[in-house]
Amino acid sequence: MLDWLVWGVSWILLLIGCVFVVTGAVGMIRMPDLYTRLHAASVTDTGGAIFISLALILQSVFVFGSAMAAIKVLLIMFFTLFTAPTASHALAKTALLCGQVPLGVDGKPILDSPEEATLLARSRSVDYKSGQDAVEILEETRRHKRERVQGQDDDGDDD
Amino acid sequence: MFATSNPICISDEIADMFIAVTIALLITMALTLARALLGPTLFDRLLAVNSFGTKTVLLIAVHGFMTGRPDFLDIALVYSLINFIGTIAVLKFFEYDDLGSGAYQEDDF
Amino acid sequence: MDTLIVLVLLTFLAITAIGIIVLRDLLGAVILLGLYSLTAAGAFVVMDAVDVAFTEAAVGAGISTILFLGALSFTKHEQKPRGHDSWVALIFVVVTGGLLIYGTLDMPHYGSPDSPSQTHPELAVRYVQESGSEVGPPNIVTSVLASYRGYDTLGETVVVFAAGVAVLSLLGLRRRRPEDEAPEDAPGDIPAADPQDNPRRNV
Repeated sequence: MLDWLVWGVSWILLLIGCVFVVTGAVGMIRMPDLYTRLHAASVTDTGGAIFISLALILQSVFVFGSAMAAIKVLLIMFFTLFTAPTASHALAKTALLCGQVPLGVDGKPILDSPEEATLLARSRSVDYKSGQDAVEILEETRRHKRERVQGQDDDGDDD
Repeated sequence: MFATSNPICISDEIADMFIAVTIALLITMALTLARALLGPTLFDRLLAVNSFGTKTVLLIAVHGFMTGRPDFLDIALVYSLINFIGTIAVLKFFEYDDLGSGAYQEDDF
Repeated sequence: MDTLIVLVLLTFLAITAIGIIVLRDLLGAVILLGLYSLTAAGAFVVMDAVDVAFTEAAVGAGISTILFLGALSFTKHEQKPRGHDSWVALIFVVVTGGLLIYGTLDMPHYGSPDSPSQTHPELAVRYVQESGSEVGPPNIVTSVLASYRGYDTLGETVVVFAAGVAVLSLLGLRRRRPEDEAPEDAPGDIPAADPQDNPRRNV
């Protein structure tokens, strides 16, 4: 009885993990721009790793009878749980910082220039303090940029 | 040709499900590899490599269970860490164009 | 099943290698090299060469990526377009590769029970039975690598050490500073650390 229960639950967990993993890969191929691909890949990466690891833990405890293997798989699961979202976050942040402009729903860039993406990526301190949303941050960065351009025009003899 | 010893003989039903997962992982790795080769930007390639690394970790873990010897999970553990460190190293290079510089300079508005 | 996995992984390796050759962007090539190492290490694990896989993971995916990045920060990120086709190099590479493949024909097949290390009457038995008392470590592979095959390992270590010293001497130990270069090269230019001036903004 327990054997069949373990067997069935493992199958279900593994199939869910497979669906996650394959969906993520298809999304990574078919999505239109970097950020949507990142979204597809990162969420399914973590999800698939969790479900497959859970099935492996179940197997190592009940079928293989190896607590060490279960602990190792648990460690793998925890590392993936911590590192995969961190890496995705760092990737998105750096991409924005290097001027990758995200596409909107209509397939057009939602920012005017790569410089705005860089400014948006650098404006994180504003976000924490005032709780502004991305649009307000963008407006503010545009205003700052205009001011900076005017300031440079005022003392243009620096160049 | 690939003669391997099986200390723990696992039944066919159990081996079947690991084989299914392995095939799914290999398909996923192929798609991810395609994105790494196509990827218009460097970030796409980096994303694909990071995802490929996660899939490799899972493949090694599942393969250990499939052959009945879950003894080499340490390697999967090492990979999951190295994959992360490598990704962060490349991203740091993207951001500062140098691996040596450390201080993050706030943009003075 | 193992055969299938190994074949698929080796196909991935070949495709990745061709992609690295075709790619002109050196940074992209470094990223793909990381993928190459991961695939190779996966294949090593499936083929039961666990310690080689460990080395490949640590050196191939970890250290060499960082070394390549360190080297790239001193050069440009685009490969120079070559005007001519180097047929001499191609012929040289093909001949060398052919010789290497010809050399492997004498080797025993993968996992073959007829390989000399298997058919030798005392070798494997001695390693298995005596290595614990003769050398000490509980892992037989460690005993073989560190003691029975010690000179070979010493040679490998010397090669790796020489490569490391060569890389260090190429990279130089002095830290590069943006302010050292900026005034002479481009007056009024923003230092390269500022991402607004990042030339790879539109990568």
